[in-house]
Amino acid sequence: MARENLMKGTTSQEDQWMVQNQCFRLYDIVYRLPPQAQSINFEVLRENHIEYLTDSLKQLGRNFQVLDANRPWFCYWIIQSIALLGDCVDDKLENGFIDFLSRCQDQDGGYGGGPGQMPHLATTYAAVNALITVGGQNSLSSINREKLYDFLLRMKDASGGFRMHDGGEVDVRACYTAISVASVLNILDDRLIQNVGDYIVRFTEDIHVATFYSCQTYEGGIAGEPCSEAHGGYTFCGLAAMVLINEADRLNLPGLLNWVVFRQGIEGGFQGRTNKLVDGCYSFWQGAVAAIIQRLHVMVNKQLGLPDTFELDCSTESGNESSDNDGEEVSEGSSSPVDISEPTKGESLSTSAAMGLNNGYDFIRRPTGMKPLFNSMALQQYILLCTQEEAGFRDKPGKRRDHYHTCYVLSGLSVCQHCNKRDADSPPLSRDVMGPYSNLVEPVHPLHNIVLDKYYEAYNFFARA
Amino acid sequence: MHGIPRKAPTQEELDDSSLKAAKLRDLQSQLLHFHHNKIYTEEAIQISAKLLESNPEHYTAWNYRKLAVQHLLNRHHENQLDSQSPQSILDDELILVENALKTNFKAYGAWHHRKWVLSKGHSSSDRELRLLGKFQKLDSRNFHAWNYRRFITELKKIPDEDELQYTTDMIYDNFSNYSAWHNRSMLLSKLLEKSAKGYEKRENVLSEEFEFVRNALFTDPDDQSGWFYHSWLLGQTLKREPLLISSSPPHGSNLSLSIDKPDRERTFPLILYFSEAVEGVSSSTVNVEYFYDGGDGLIWYPLSANKLGFSQAWLTYIEYPLDTLESFDVKVTIAQFPGIISSNGMPCSRSCYIYFTASVCSNNQEKSEVQTTHKISWNEENFKPHSTHPEDANLLASLCKLDIAKENNPTTPMLCMETISNEIACSRELLSSSNCKIGKLTLARLLVAHNTLITYGCMDSGTEAHYEEILALYHDLMKMDPAHIGYYEDEYSLVLMKQLTSNTESLLKLCGKYQELSSPSISSYTSVRLKVLSLSRVSCLEHLLWVQMLDLSHNKLRSIEGLEALQQLSCLKLSNNRLSSFTALEPLKMLNSLQVLDVSYNEIGAHSIDTRRYMCSSPLNSATGFGWQLKRFTDEDADLKRFWDAYLLFRDLNLVQLDIVGNAVVDERLKAFLIKLMSALKWFDGESCH
Repeated sequence: MARENLMKGTTSQEDQWMVQNQCFRLYDIVYRLPPQAQSINFEVLRENHIEYLTDSLKQLGRNFQVLDANRPWFCYWIIQSIALLGDCVDDKLENGFIDFLSRCQDQDGGYGGGPGQMPHLATTYAAVNALITVGGQNSLSSINREKLYDFLLRMKDASGGFRMHDGGEVDVRACYTAISVASVLNILDDRLIQNVGDYIVRFTEDIHVATFYSCQTYEGGIAGEPCSEAHGGYTFCGLAAMVLINEADRLNLPGLLNWVVFRQGIEGGFQGRTNKLVDGCYSFWQGAVAAIIQRLHVMVNKQLGLPDTFELDCSTESGNESSDNDGEEVSEGSSSPVDISEPTKGESLSTSAAMGLNNGYDFIRRPTGMKPLFNSMALQQYILLCTQEEAGFRDKPGKRRDHYHTCYVLSGLSVCQHCNKRDADSPPLSRDVMGPYSNLVEPVHPLHNIVLDKYYEAYNFFARA
Repeated sequence: MHGIPRKAPTQEELDDSSLKAAKLRDLQSQLLHFHHNKIYTEEAIQISAKLLESNPEHYTAWNYRKLAVQHLLNRHHENQLDSQSPQSILDDELILVENALKTNFKAYGAWHHRKWVLSKGHSSSDRELRLLGKFQKLDSRNFHAWNYRRFITELKKIPDEDELQYTTDMIYDNFSNYSAWHNRSMLLSKLLEKSAKGYEKRENVLSEEFEFVRNALFTDPDDQSGWFYHSWLLGQTLKREPLLISSSPPHGSNLSLSIDKPDRERTFPLILYFSEAVEGVSSSTVNVEYFYDGGDGLIWYPLSANKLGFSQAWLTYIEYPLDTLESFDVKVTIAQFPGIISSNGMPCSRSCYIYFTASVCSNNQEKSEVQTTHKISWNEENFKPHSTHPEDANLLASLCKLDIAKENNPTTPMLCMETISNEIACSRELLSSSNCKIGKLTLARLLVAHNTLITYGCMDSGTEAHYEEILALYHDLMKMDPAHIGYYEDEYSLVLMKQLTSNTESLLKLCGKYQELSSPSISSYTSVRLKVLSLSRVSCLEHLLWVQMLDLSHNKLRSIEGLEALQQLSCLKLSNNRLSSFTALEPLKMLNSLQVLDVSYNEIGAHSIDTRRYMCSSPLNSATGFGWQLKRFTDEDADLKRFWDAYLLFRDLNLVQLDIVGNAVVDERLKAFLIKLMSALKWFDGESCH
């Protein structure tokens, strides 16, 4: 480690500078344009994206050989992106879609990466989410829930976690996909939940040292397995799973919050781990973590030792401050009989809770208790100017678009646009949407990453079933 | 950016890729056929290898391999003539994994398959570490490889010391590799915890680590990795036990008690204030000796509005007898290992005590009720600062004992202090040539740590607190990094309050008396002014436990958490702050003496998403357990629904004067509601209520 290297920088740093400069150059170019030309650059090129996605769906298979063990994922990424953009596919495609996923469904439950392949938790998650997003009687009833439940139980590991597949690895991803699927299909029960929380927050005793290691690291984020490094994708999985099994208070939430807010970088986008480069897909993984914590305010405050009612004031834009005072909203925010009736939503919940555990539904019906915990505008700017291509979205400037990034960048955009409102169902204010209001994409359920309307449809469907 | 035409793939590329796809599809359908029909011929096994080498993500194929291996091993076991040796069977698997990882070293299935082979007892640590060396060189942040490394270390019982050396090498190779730093923190924790040879002396080890990380920071101060590790290290260094740092009545003081009180009010409050929030304060952990009682029956209450059981300040009431005019001594002892534990799990492990003398006298000099015929104006012109009367220093000394900590407390190990001082010097040097944000933050934290260690008592009398420098650093940070301004403001506030209250001289500057002709009763109050200081929160109240009149106006307060400890407080001015809801005023409910409150010009009710209202659900929906007394309000049900949060706060306060003008929530209806609610109220927004 020699001092003369000072001007050179480390490899990570040089990469960082390069990305940073590319982003700043893009921002600079756009902000130098005259207002009219500027605004075009902030538009979500909805038609182009939809065309790209629909075309890919038609020729699914070509060029994706590596992902042959992941085909339900492609279905999910594409259909989720289309749904976020407020569109849907035609009946023919839809039927083909349901038919294909049915062929991926194993006779003993769960979905494999393609027809004839073994069932796998990740592809099961993708298939179930995709089928819910397609929606409708045919699609929803094509899922064999009884068999799927058996499959989930078979994947349950002695540690409390889940295996990705028969003989496969146990990690936080497996816990999340199993719990998410079970929750959304209304088959989550105590047997599935048992000790999942222990796997995520605490690991079995080390033989040498009588210490417990948790998947949540000292940094505050969550790792894929105990002792590993905190990582954005796993942090989402770990947190969402803990919320769905109603044990989020076992995590160190202030630590988690601290970790996630510092993953938003100077370019506006999120990085996945400490000292890594920004990547558009973390717009969702990290952005949703922040959005989930927004609804866990009571737990956060409790852990901080603050009174129940203290609000973490995390206003990130000075612009927000001034507009906070405008009269229209004061009357909205202050007292009316509506406020008082708020908790009655809880009553209708308790009836549905009798049919099973509905922490996911409960969660989304709960009002948001904090302001956005990350800089939503900065992230939207990164998404619109740095990741959007003429069709599709990418990781960062210099990378090529793909379906994975298109899905998670759009999902992240949705999280941004909808994070500054109290109810899940109300539309956001125009000041919370960067660019024209027509940029608005559909809200998602942050624990499942399913478009909210589709989630409700499935919720009602499976509550009856 | 839009408008840049996408390069379309050439026909050749398309042909090539569709050829590959076709080939792969063919391999896959063959594999699935073998898998479903349990065919484990040599040819079949080779096809599975081909498939996995080009698509390592094919988990079904990996499972097929496992079944095939099992099949071959069984054959060998059954002594089939043509069978392979177990060695070579498993070797094939290792080679396949290696080839597959060359295609995609992020494939879960491949790494998992290798773990499976290893768990069969095959391969050596050398071979595995060599393989890892290769992949970790290729991508030093690959978490699959790091996970696998930890697996191997565990399985092959590789000493943690060796692994620590590996992280050293990795860091020397590229110190921006945070994965290596992360693993280092795990290993070092383990070694320290089991006191491995060479790791028995925590202070020494940490000191050496600081030196190690400093090299990285100096080489390139703009790289984040070392700084994150540094911050972890500092946390390890600062794990200290909680201390009793002040009390009310103060250590060594004389307390005058009134004899004129009715029997049931013959008690006085005793408050213990700790260096951080603790739990476990009770009559079994704190021994209170006074002339006839051992204090066994005393009940201790945490002075904190949250219900967690942890609090910095703890309160009990001591009863004094009816029939004595003599003075008596009170000694409060915290015995060794008494079960008082901080929120991060450190126990109070040193015995310490305070004592004071109480005398009962008929001439009552105790605090008097605020006279209510005139309002308190907080008039600037009437304020007479103590600093102009040096003799008042004596008065202050009787009100608070500034150095209780030093008499009682453990001393910080010299080495720890040296380490921190050394780090401070180095960080300063570093910042002289660089202006990095995280460096400034680290220096500020180090200086705060240094101050904390001084509080714990240090042999080195030459050490001084660095308040000005810390404040300047946070000030810079607010400008450099406005996105995190809230955090910096809070840290700034903590340090500033510490500075202002830490010694007699600075404390005196804040003190004074209001000589208001209109309300002579408050002339006896010593008032403390902490106004126009940009405070966003309050803290370090250990030297203010005696305060009866406090002015916190014109700050940036968003929370008043902590004020619960000021049990003598009668008059409180919080005007022109950023308090945004009635529920943020929750701590006031614990101030039994509070009579005059000014919360004018705050932001109560001003926020669009006033979510604080929803955090506790409306009591009207949970009729049980709330102790609602609706009788007075049956006619004004609508008002109660509307102002329930105000109701929950003010029904518990016994105010004679309230100023609330200048908050968005205030209207005529609320005014009428509050006047009706608080029967003792005499002055509302400067006007008489009657």
